[in-house]
Amino acid sequence: MATQQCSVEDTAALQESIQRHARYSLGKAWCDLSARDRFVAVALAVRDRMLDLSLETEDRYRRSDAKRLYYVSIEYLIGQSLGNNLQNLGMRESCRQALINLGADLDEIEESEPDAALGNGGLGRLAACFLDSLATLGMPGNGYGINYEYGLFKQEIDNGYQREKPDNWLAHSSPWQIARPDETCVVPVYGRIEHSLDRKGGYNPMWMEWKVLLGLPHDMPITGYGGRTVNFLRLYSAHSSHDFDMGIFNDGDYFKAVQQKITSETISKVLYPSDTAGAGQELRLVQEYFLVACTLRDIVRTFEQAHTSYQDFPAKVAIQMNDTHPALAVAELMRILVDEKNLEWEEAWETTQAALAYTNHTLLPEALEKWPVALLEHVLPRHLQIIYEINRRLLEQVAQVHPEDKDRLGRLSLIEESTPKQVRMANLAMVGSHSINGVAAIHTQLLETSLVPDFYRLWPERFNNKTNGISQRRWLLKANPALADLIRSVIGDAWITDLDQLRALEKCAGDAGFQREFRKVKRASKARLAQVIGDSSRMKPDLESLFDIHVKRIHAYKRQLLNVMHIIHEYLSLIEDGRQPTAPRTYVFAGKAAPGYWLAKQIIKLIHNVGRVINNDSRAGQWMKVAFIPDYRVSLAEKIIPAADLSEQISTAGTEASGTGNMKFALNGAITIGTRDGANIEIREEVGAENIFIFGLKPGEAQAMLRERSYRPHEYYDRDSRVRRVVDAFRSNLFCRDEPDLFAWIYRSILDENDEFLHLADLSAYLDAQENAAKAFNDPAAWTRMAILNVARMGKFSSDRAVREYASDIWGIEA
Amino acid sequence: MEIPVDKLDGVAVAAVPVDELDASNSGEFKRDITPVLQSHTKLVLDLRQLRFVDSSGLGAMLSCLRQLSAKGGDLKLCSLSKQVRALFELVRMHRIFEIYGTKEEAIRAFQN
Repeated sequence: MATQQCSVEDTAALQESIQRHARYSLGKAWCDLSARDRFVAVALAVRDRMLDLSLETEDRYRRSDAKRLYYVSIEYLIGQSLGNNLQNLGMRESCRQALINLGADLDEIEESEPDAALGNGGLGRLAACFLDSLATLGMPGNGYGINYEYGLFKQEIDNGYQREKPDNWLAHSSPWQIARPDETCVVPVYGRIEHSLDRKGGYNPMWMEWKVLLGLPHDMPITGYGGRTVNFLRLYSAHSSHDFDMGIFNDGDYFKAVQQKITSETISKVLYPSDTAGAGQELRLVQEYFLVACTLRDIVRTFEQAHTSYQDFPAKVAIQMNDTHPALAVAELMRILVDEKNLEWEEAWETTQAALAYTNHTLLPEALEKWPVALLEHVLPRHLQIIYEINRRLLEQVAQVHPEDKDRLGRLSLIEESTPKQVRMANLAMVGSHSINGVAAIHTQLLETSLVPDFYRLWPERFNNKTNGISQRRWLLKANPALADLIRSVIGDAWITDLDQLRALEKCAGDAGFQREFRKVKRASKARLAQVIGDSSRMKPDLESLFDIHVKRIHAYKRQLLNVMHIIHEYLSLIEDGRQPTAPRTYVFAGKAAPGYWLAKQIIKLIHNVGRVINNDSRAGQWMKVAFIPDYRVSLAEKIIPAADLSEQISTAGTEASGTGNMKFALNGAITIGTRDGANIEIREEVGAENIFIFGLKPGEAQAMLRERSYRPHEYYDRDSRVRRVVDAFRSNLFCRDEPDLFAWIYRSILDENDEFLHLADLSAYLDAQENAAKAFNDPAAWTRMAILNVARMGKFSSDRAVREYASDIWGIEA
Repeated sequence: MEIPVDKLDGVAVAAVPVDELDASNSGEFKRDITPVLQSHTKLVLDLRQLRFVDSSGLGAMLSCLRQLSAKGGDLKLCSLSKQVRALFELVRMHRIFEIYGTKEEAIRAFQN
C-alpha cells in the first residue's frame, strides 16, 4: 500500500468527484474557485471515500458487538488533515494526478488547509497520534472532544514580544466535519438540590432549576493507514436550547435574551491556553463538564442500542481520561447509573471503576487541577453530592486500615481542607479508575514514589506505565517523504505499520553510500527550513552549520533559558576570548507562551534580543545564527523537525512527564542533547548511550536538592568562570541596550536558591555536552552513523506500540 | 394555554398541549392547570405532544403533584417520549412520579 500507485480509474473517479463537489457543494465552476474553495472541493471528495469506509467500519463493529474505547480529551492537536488522509487512503498520487489534470497543484492545496489547533501541545498531539494508531490497528476506538470555534491563538512577534491573535479556524466551517443534529445531547448545569422523598419513602435528591446547554456533535473521520478502518473524532459544539429565551424576550429585554444565547455558546468558543489556571475558572469548569456529559450521554446511547443490562457495561465500554480534565466522568457516570439507571451504589461504583481509566500527564504538583468546592456546588450541585459520598466511602475504607493516620486521610481525601476548600480532580480520577498510568517509565516511577505515593500504596495494582508514542505515518512518512523514500528503498515499507522494522537500517549505518544519501536528504530538509526562516526573518542560515533546534511550548521547566545561556557562552567566548566555536551553528527556536505567562513571554523576548545582537555582529556571522520562527503549530513542526541535527530536550530532570518532540526528532535523524527526564531516558536505552548527549542531574538528585533545599546557585557561579560570565551578561544590558535592565530579573532569578528549575546546577554539564556534540558534528561519517542509528532504533516510540499496550492491558479491546 | 381535559372512569386526563414546556410557558401552564387541580383529585397528565421540558417545566409538574397530594389526590404521567423520560430521569423525578406508557394504563393504575 505504501508505494502509492496512481491508477487511471482512481484518478478519473477522483477528478470527477472533485469537480462534482466544486459544482454542487460549492456552486462554482472550477475556474472560479478560490484557493480555499479548491481545498474544500478536494477535501469533500476525499471525505466521500472516508465515509464509505466509515460506514463499513461501523457495520463491522456492530456485527461483532465489539467492545469500544472512548478516548476523552479536552485537546486534540490535529494540524492539517488532507495530506494525512490521502496518504492513509493510498490516494495521494491519484489525487495529485487528478489535480494536475485540472491545472492545480496538490502541494499548494494541502498547504492552504488551516491547522486544526484544538490543543496546546504534547497532550493534544498525543491524542491525535493515538487516534491515528487506533484506526491503523483496526481497533474500535473513537475520540471525544470539544469543537472549539477558536483554537490555540496565532502568535505574532512584534519587536521580540509575542502578540496573540485569535485563531478562528472554524470561520468557514471544516469540510472534514459532519454535524449530527439528531444526536444532540441535553446538558444541565447550575441549579440546586431539593431534598425530597421518593415514592417508597427513600431519600431522593432532585436536581432542580438547572439551565440547559445543548451539545451538537460533529464527526471528523479518522482514517487508518491502508484504509481498512475509519473511526471518528466526535467534537461537541455548545448551543443554547433556544434561539432566544422567549420569556426574557417577551418581557422586552431583547439584548438580555441574545446575551443568554451567546453565553451558552461561549462554552465551546475558545480553547484555554495552558498555564492559565484561575482565569475564567467557571467557564473552564463548565467546559470540562460539557465534554464529559456529552461523551457519557453518547456512550450510554450507543451501549443501550445493543444491551439492556448494565452488568455488560464494562465488557463493552472502556473510557480513557486523558489527564484530569475529564475527571468529572467519575461523578457523571455514577450519577447516570445511580440516578437514571437505578443501580445500587455498590454496583454502580464497580461498573464505573471497571470502565474508567486515567492517564496522568504531569509531575508538577501545582499543575494538578483543583476546583473550589463552592464553585463546583454552584455549577454541579448533584455531582458535588456524589463526590462527597465517594469520598466518605474512600476515607472509611482507608480509616479501617490506618485508623490513626489523619495525615494520610488528609492526603487521600478528594477534598483539600484549604481556604477555600477544593476538590482534587486527580484524586477523583484515581479513585474512580481501575487503571492509573504514567507516560514514561521514570514518570510512572515518580508518580508512584513522589506525586501520589499514598494512592500507590493503597492500590499498587492499578498503577502502570504506558510510555508515549508518535505516529510514524504523520511524523516520518508525511513530514519527511524524502527520508521515508530512502528508507523504503533499502528495507521496504513494513515500518509504516510496524516501526520496529526500522532496526533493519542498522546494517546501513556505516555504509558510505547510504550515509551520503542520508546527508543529502537532511540537507534538503535544512534548505526547506532555511526558506521558512528566511520568509519570516530574512536570515539565511548556513546549510553546513549544525541545526540546533529547540521547539515546544515556552515554559520555565522546559528551560529554553538554559539553551540561551549556551548561546551566550559561545558568543562571549568568540568575541571576548577569540575562541571560535567548534562547529558553526544555527540555533532555531519556536513555541508559544501562554498569554498570561509573563516569564515565558520574557524568554521569547530574550531569544529575539540575543539573536539580534549575534545576527548583527559580523564577528559571529560565519559561526552563529539565532532564529525564532513564529506561530509554532503542527504543520510548521512537520517542516522544522526533519531539518534538525541536534534536538534540545533539556527540561529539569523530573519535570517533563514524557515529551514526544524528543521522539519525533530522533525518528527524523536528529541526535538528542537532553537531560535524564521523561522519555529521554528510554530513548537513551534504545539508541545507546554513545548515540545521544545526556547530561546533568538525575531525577532523584534534582528532587533531593529541592526537598532538602540544598541547591546553592552561587557555588556554581563561583566555581565555573563560564557560568559566571553568562550569568553576569544578564545584568550587563548587552542584550537590551534599548531597554536597560530588561533582563536583570533573570540574573536575580537564576542566582536565587529558590530557582526550582535548577538552571545553574546543569549549566556546566550542558556546556560540556554541547561541546561534545559540536566535536561529533565535525566528523560527518560518525555523526551520520549516529543519526541513522537513532532512526533505526526508534521502533519502541511508535504510538502503535503504545496503543497496543493500552488495548491489551487497560481497555480490553481488539482489532 | 388551552389544556384539553377528558374525564374517564372518574379520572381527569389533561393533555399538555405544547411541544416544549420551559421557562417561556411554564408559568402559563401552572396558571391554566390550576382549575383542573382544584376540581379533581385524580389526574393523569398526558405528555404525548411534549418533546422537551426544562427544569421550570419539571418544576411546574412537581407543583401539580404536590397540590394534589396535599388534598389526598395523586398525579400520574403517561406517554412520555424517550427524550422527555430522559429528562425526568436526569433529575430523579421518575422516582417521584408514577409514569405509564399509555393513558389507559395510568387510568387503570388509579382504579387498582
